[in-house]
Amino acid sequence: MADELELLRRANPVPVDAPHFGDGPLDHHAERQLDRLMRERPSRRPRLLWGLAAAAVVAALVSALLFTGQTTAPAVAAPRPLLVQADSTPVSLKTLADRAQETAADGAPKLRKGTHVQSWSMGMSDDKPPITLPEERIVRWNADDSHTELVVATDPRHPGRPVLGGEGELVEDGHVLSRQTYPPSWSDAPPQSPPPTGTARLRAYLQEAAYSRTALNTGELLDAVASLLDTWTLGARESATLARLLADTEGLKPVGQLTDRLGRRGQAYVYEGPGARRMLIMDPATGAVLGLETTYTKAEPEYGVKAGDVMSYRAWMR
Amino acid sequence: MSNDEIFAAAYREHYWAVSRYVARRLDGRMTEVEEVVAEVFTVAWRRRADLPASPLPWLYGVARNCLANAVRGYGRRRRLVDRLGNDETAHGRHIVASPDTEAPGAWVHEALNRLSPADQEVLRLTAWEELGVEEVAVALGCGRRAAAMRLHRARRRLSAEIDRICPPTVSKERSHG
Repeated sequence: MADELELLRRANPVPVDAPHFGDGPLDHHAERQLDRLMRERPSRRPRLLWGLAAAAVVAALVSALLFTGQTTAPAVAAPRPLLVQADSTPVSLKTLADRAQETAADGAPKLRKGTHVQSWSMGMSDDKPPITLPEERIVRWNADDSHTELVVATDPRHPGRPVLGGEGELVEDGHVLSRQTYPPSWSDAPPQSPPPTGTARLRAYLQEAAYSRTALNTGELLDAVASLLDTWTLGARESATLARLLADTEGLKPVGQLTDRLGRRGQAYVYEGPGARRMLIMDPATGAVLGLETTYTKAEPEYGVKAGDVMSYRAWMR
Repeated sequence: MSNDEIFAAAYREHYWAVSRYVARRLDGRMTEVEEVVAEVFTVAWRRRADLPASPLPWLYGVARNCLANAVRGYGRRRRLVDRLGNDETAHGRHIVASPDTEAPGAWVHEALNRLSPADQEVLRLTAWEELGVEEVAVALGCGRRAAAMRLHRARRRLSAEIDRICPPTVSKERSHG
């Protein structure tokens, strides 16, 4: 006799051997999502951690002041926003894109998978002042398609001074936060697939990298550019395509020249978005993106954030 | 193995089972399945330190909560679409009727839908995900005895609903094996 459970079993709308969701290897979408999760940094961990971190900083600062004098004061200060030189002349993105195109004529340097980025990112807590973690991340891909990621705590503005580590504790400059080797991966979905040359195709690539079904607005586009640069070190050709795409993008205003936190000269382009202001810093000669700074445009008193505070800053290197 | 590696292994092993779980509860809204499954594993990633040795029932429990949120969101979108009025999905025109429009087992689904959500879930976990009572308890976040009791009562109520709907062929099948 077929009991009620057996009848229900037979009425299973998606059986194990269903065409869409049958067991087997992951598809591209699933691989990409796993990859994205595995690359999440501690800066995205829950806020509780930041509460603990801030407490650790306060304790460390107090003991540093009480017992060790001021010579080894840790480099925990949040970075101030970058300042544009008052007397500098802004260069339009179109001019920069033209320059980038000229520079790219000989094709050097070449595109390389992997990245080298220095970042400062703010962590917030409900009941403690925000803290900023400085990190340097290097990703190198090997011939067998495996890759190694090395993350160290360091603040190049204060070499040799203790800094906040990934868990918010004070560590020596250069302390290794993580060193991981990932097995071979052949994902061909953006941002793992090589970025195309051609602005329309690059725009579609960035949209896919941002998991968006609709065209990206300028804020989302800049975030997608950051995820591209966190995966690839662009060659001259790709940088020229990106500069052209940015020149065709609404809302990016040239504001002038500045020196970034790694001491490099750059031209700055600002996008004022809701709640945040993004400033893109580009190499004035090659049009390569050097950095992206995001600052708060309004105070968030419950997190101790003031308007103008730096939410995050990333500087990409070759 | 580190928590990260254990998570990656669980993801690879159970991705499709979790997708089926979500698809079974979204009534053919396939485009939403991927989104909900992504949410399930994002939540699981954040809680990877809690991942038990047999992670699948636990993942179903996470999925159950994510679905509750997704369904609330779907309800909002549905109301909006209905108000706009012209969307094809609002009128069900995106579903092509087959010659035999009533899917096999449609009446069983109807009987199931007459039960409370809690009864439906314990029955689905048992019949569709093929979980044992202990695993059902993990997925529902209750004790083993409570799970056994819920299943027992839900089966009785489903049986009563089936008898009430009682299509002739089935009543024959049920009475004569």
